[in-house]
Amino acid sequence: MVQDSDAFAADLLRGHTDTIVLGVLRRHESYGFEIYKTIRDATGGAYEIKEATLYATYRRLEKDGLVESFWGDETQGGRRKYYRITDAGRAVYRRNVAAWSATRDIIDSLLDGSAVN
Amino acid sequence: MNATTPRPGGSAVHRLLDELFAGIPATPDALDLKEEVRGNLVARATELEEAGRTPDEAARIAVDELGDVRELLDEAPAERSAADIAAAHRVRHRPAFVVRTVLISIASGLSLIALWLGSWDVFPLATGAAFALAGIAGLGLGWVIGDSLRQETTVHHPMPQRRALLFGLAGALVITGLTTGFTILVHGIAPAWLILPAVGTIAGIGLFSYLGATQTNRTKAWMLEYGRNEHEIGNRFEKDPAAAARFGIYTMLIWVGAFVVSIVLYFTTGWTWAWIPYVVGFIGMMLLVTQMLFGEHADKKGDDK
Repeated sequence: MVQDSDAFAADLLRGHTDTIVLGVLRRHESYGFEIYKTIRDATGGAYEIKEATLYATYRRLEKDGLVESFWGDETQGGRRKYYRITDAGRAVYRRNVAAWSATRDIIDSLLDGSAVN
Repeated sequence: MNATTPRPGGSAVHRLLDELFAGIPATPDALDLKEEVRGNLVARATELEEAGRTPDEAARIAVDELGDVRELLDEAPAERSAADIAAAHRVRHRPAFVVRTVLISIASGLSLIALWLGSWDVFPLATGAAFALAGIAGLGLGWVIGDSLRQETTVHHPMPQRRALLFGLAGALVITGLTTGFTILVHGIAPAWLILPAVGTIAGIGLFSYLGATQTNRTKAWMLEYGRNEHEIGNRFEKDPAAAARFGIYTMLIWVGAFVVSIVLYFTTGWTWAWIPYVVGFIGMMLLVTQMLFGEHADKKGDDK
């Protein structure tokens, strides 16, 4: 049974999937499972973004030209489709992070005080 | 995609994946997604197996976690027009880059002109100032080289930063070597000091040679794509580190040799012939590059080193 606070946090997280994925790819190019694992580890395993959601994100980001994909040349295991952030992706990422910081400050100031109770 | 490819990672994953995609028209888009999902499922199942699950359990958990993939295919991927692609690949220069390139180019150019005019006694130029001008010209032009290369040649496939920096460093070494060497000659400083700019220039040429010899497009997406169908592409130096090491040593020997011979010629015949060894050295190095990069088949016929 998922608690309400967890559902709230998961919703918030899901709302920022695109930016989170761009943030992971900003550090280095990566493939689906690695991105999934990075996000899972960052949340301490508490909240998951479903892999299907991530695939939808990759497709959207690629269509918008924010990431590009290419197939790896692994010979062991399954072949991997790698994603790499583009310049446009970096620009969108920076813009989203700035928007997030501004929003977070507003919400923090609005909710401050009442949350302590 | 290829039916004859062995499928590691447990057969359960592949069976479940086939079930998942059953009934979906085998469009290129769907097959692409299926292969992508396959790679990730195998990775997740492997992780679960390492955590102690049986292969069948691991495959089932991995597929369960996946969620609904089918709905991804409902919306068809947008066709990209040639104009879209061109726009996505257009190189957009940042204003700061343009401004600093223009300013540094002007500063370097003026330094070179001042250095040249000063050497003709058009106006008095102190030795210290001449060296400063020589340094500004060399470092400035080196900076422009590195900075320009660091800007992307295409938006999606930029030159790696480190390589661009090394190109800039090589350019700075060569040009600074030449300008300071020129200053030493013109200002009547003991020719023995020429050894410093000469070493810098040789190091720069060596660096250029190394960068040129290892320049390849093997990490570009289309080359990776090509490489999956056609094997045996790649750079000899990549496949054979010993060849790269040999190349480095030979290059060093050639240029040190050219330098020593040119110094000897300078003291015996003056400047008339002292430049010849560098030309010979350059030709020798280019021959070496062709031999080492493309002489592979000859090696294979003989005994394999």
